[in-house]
Formats: sequence, C-alpha cells, structure tokens
Amino acid sequence: MSNAALAEVRRERTAVPVLNEDWLAVVLGLFIFVLALAALVHVDLIGWVVTTSVWIDLGQALGTASKSYAALGGLGALVATYVALLAVLSAGAAALGTDVKRFALAFTAVFWIAYASWVVGNFANFAAVTPAEQQKFGISWSLKLTNEGAYIFALIAGLIIANFLPRFAEAIKDAVRPELYIKIAIVILGGFFAVTAAGRLNLAGSLVLRGIAAIVEAYLIYWAVVYYVARKWFGFSREWSAPLASGISICGVSAAIAIGGAIRARPVVPVLVSSLVVVFAVVEVLILPFVAQSFLSHEPLVAAAWMGLAVKTDGAAVAAGGITESLILAKNAAEGVHYQPGWILGTAATVKVFIDIFIGIWAFVLGYIWTNHINATADRDKARFAEIWQRFPKFIIGFVITFAIGLYLALGTPADIAKNVPAAIGEANTFRVIFFILTFFSIGVLSNFKALWREGFGKLAAVYLVSLFGFVIWVGLLISWLFFGGITPPLAS
Amino acid sequence: MSQSDSELRDELRDLPVEPLLPIEKKLIGYSLSIGLVLLVVLAVVNHLFPASF
Repeated sequence: MSNAALAEVRRERTAVPVLNEDWLAVVLGLFIFVLALAALVHVDLIGWVVTTSVWIDLGQALGTASKSYAALGGLGALVATYVALLAVLSAGAAALGTDVKRFALAFTAVFWIAYASWVVGNFANFAAVTPAEQQKFGISWSLKLTNEGAYIFALIAGLIIANFLPRFAEAIKDAVRPELYIKIAIVILGGFFAVTAAGRLNLAGSLVLRGIAAIVEAYLIYWAVVYYVARKWFGFSREWSAPLASGISICGVSAAIAIGGAIRARPVVPVLVSSLVVVFAVVEVLILPFVAQSFLSHEPLVAAAWMGLAVKTDGAAVAAGGITESLILAKNAAEGVHYQPGWILGTAATVKVFIDIFIGIWAFVLGYIWTNHINATADRDKARFAEIWQRFPKFIIGFVITFAIGLYLALGTPADIAKNVPAAIGEANTFRVIFFILTFFSIGVLSNFKALWREGFGKLAAVYLVSLFGFVIWVGLLISWLFFGGITPPLAS
Repeated sequence: MSQSDSELRDELRDLPVEPLLPIEKKLIGYSLSIGLVLLVVLAVVNHLFPASF
C-alpha cells in the first residue's frame, strides 16, 4: 500500500488500477507458492528458477533450483527466471494501471543490474566465510560477507544509480517498487517460516507472545516519545509531527502514509517523510546487521527482534533480518555451532508483521482524535471504522495464508507428502531471495541523498537522527533483550 | 513536487508555533503510561512462561 500511495502522488497513471499493491503482492506471492506446491505430487513447475552459489569461476556461479532442470544450465536458468518474472510482473503492472511497456523496459534494467550485483557479491573473496571454504576456492582472504551479504552489493548498485545517474534512476522508476517486491517476498516467507517453525511449535508460539511486546513498544512508547520530540524540541506542526512519529516509530512508509491520510495531512507531508525514512533505513541496513554480528552473535533472536524493531520500512527490516541471519549463522558456524536457518529471518519478519497489523487501528485512533478534537471537521470527513480495514496492510493476509498452509502440510499430511514439503517450499523460497535482491536494489535507487538535502530536509532529518540513534535503536535493543534474551534457535540436525 | 520545493523549504524553516494542546498531552501521557504498564505485564508473563522448545 505504501508505494502505491507514493505512486499516486508521483507517477502518472495511464489506466484505472484493478488491484492495489498489497493485493497484488498477495496474488503473486500465492501464485508462486501454489506453483511450488505442485512438487508435492512430483510435478516440478518452478525448479528452473536460478540460484547463485559462492564462486571463483563465474561459469560455476549460476544453477537451477532443482536438478530436474539442470540441463538448462545457469545462464538458461537466469534467462528463464527473467522471462517468467517479466511476464508475471508485467501482468501485475497492468493490474496496477501502470504502462506495461514502460514497466517491462524498466524491469529489464532493474532485474539484470540487481542480479548482476548479487552475482558479484557472491564472489568467493567477498562471500566465503570458513577457512574450509577459502581452501576450497583456493583463496587466502575473504571479506566473509556470506552469500546473503551480497544483498549489500545490490543496495550499493542502486545507491550509485540514485546519486550519480539520476536520469537513469528516473528512467527505470516504473519498476523501482521495493514495497511491492518485499511484500511478495513476505507472502512467500510465510510458508518457509511455517516449515521452519513446524519442528519447534512451542518456540514459534513463544515468538508470537513476544511479538505483542513489539506492538506495545512501537505504538505506545516510540510513537509518543517521537511525537513529543518533534513537537516540543523541534517545533514541528501537528501535521508534520504525526506522520513523522509514525514513520520513525512504526513503519517508515506504510504508517507515515496511513497516518498522514487519517489526520487529513496534505499528501506531500507523508511522501517527504517516507523519502527520509527510506534513506535512514539504508544507513541502518548497512550498519546494524554487522553490529549485531559483532555483539549479538550468541543471542541470535535478540538480534532478529532488534532488526524488526529498529529498522524502519518493511523491506529494510526484513532484508536486514536476512543479512543478520546470514552473518550470525556464519560466525557461529565458524565456532562450531550450527543453528537451523530460518529462525532469525522468520523472527525479524514476524516482529515487523506484528507491528504492521495495527497500522489501521492506530490510524483510526489518531484520525478520530484529529477529526473530533484537534481539527474538528464536518461529520462526513470524520474518521470512520471502515478506515481500519481500508488501511490494513493486506499483504499480511497472504503471509498468514502461506504460513497456515505450510504448517498444515508439514504437520497434518501423511509422511510421504510431508517429507516433500521443505523441498517444495524451498523452491518458492528461491523466488523469495530474488525478490529480496530486487528490494535491496530498489531501496538504493530511491535513496537520493542529494535530493533530500536540496529539499531542505535538515530539520526533519534531525528529528530522525535524534529519535533513531538516541532512542529507538537502544530501546529496541533493550526490549529485544528483555523478551528474546536467552532464546536460541534450534541446532541444525 | 518540484513546484513546491521552495515553498516546502520555507515552510519547514518557518514553522508556526503550535503549542501542545491538552488532548495531545493526554495522547502522549496515556500512550506512555499504558505502554509501560503493558510492557511490565508482558515482562512478567515472559518470566512466568519462558520460551520452550
């Protein structure tokens, strides 16, 4: 919903949208998930999707997700993946009312640059972690960024385009949709996390209880403090302070726009706030996962919850969870501790999804206060209960559906079907990785630091700096420690 | 948006003073109070029902 709202302000629409971005993410995420499930009845429909391994010889970098399609070769898999995503996402662009031809051209550039960056990031000197891996590739040093650390390369490629090639960034803007890509990824992630959680339902249930603490923290603690700081210390008006507090404390893009609408702020206010949040989210993604690896490698779920609480915007938070998982698992593996993958990413995503669930309710509460007590308006303009549903981030429904189906398949089906579930959902998860890559690249392209300063954002940025680095990050860490401290993911079998 | 860049810059530089209204003070106060109480309750629940495998 967030980028769709941004787009309403920024983009020229050529047709009436059939779906909004949230519903489109649900449809596309479920589509990929259902195709993957065909493998349960031994029909491999998406095994051709491309995967990338850490490489020293470029010819060995790419491959197919399933051996059934190995004959396709790495390059063939990459082309097949591009063609499939181009077709599906172009149909999605048509449903959003975007010019399909412009989208297709822009997506072509986005896909190839983003994936090329990902492949570069998987070069052994960047990604190899253990001494055994270094020996295998015949290298004497490595940055040890891990396989998923390559997301950073996609982000940097986007940042270079945004800040040094602004005309090119403008030319590809139709396919620069980080919120759409991450929401599709989150829908797919629901199934993946279900399979991960199936073996440890008690632990998964504990995470849900702790997700409630995240909601309390974001809405009742963060929001109130940031709003006070913006109003009292920096002298911002109510119209600026409410979206700013929502962006910094809840979700940088979705909440800022939902709350902006609820309090009847001018559209430009939440849009500028969102632009600011995206830039700071980039800074956080580049720093926090590495801080977490250094100081929280023995508290993996504290690190995970911290990413979900401290990094704003869905894309950046979940993506930061992905990088954190990769870095922390690698560090623990080097010490001989092998945690089961999926828990850190799943916890970060769960915390963020829990926070997102209440955006609609919080928007209604603030809308009610604003339209009845602060800017009392005519009855027809007052906040309505229906707005709770209107502002609810619908992609969460997709996450819940794939989680429920994944859990049922893993626990409620006969053993001969259940044993194939991880592999089937693993193929869908390969698409999730690709949508993460597109998300990172897109976030980078949207982060034009120069444009922000040109627009006179200094004071807004100051509120963000004070709130984020003076409060949000540390309170997030404290709460994460309080509720997730001492809980570790299961060991890999 | 470019049309309004300079206006926005001016607006952000010269924001009019809007004192905190009583309803805003209530919103901030109630939010923090309820939030802190809930966090304490959740911390107790967390202590009584620790995560288990």
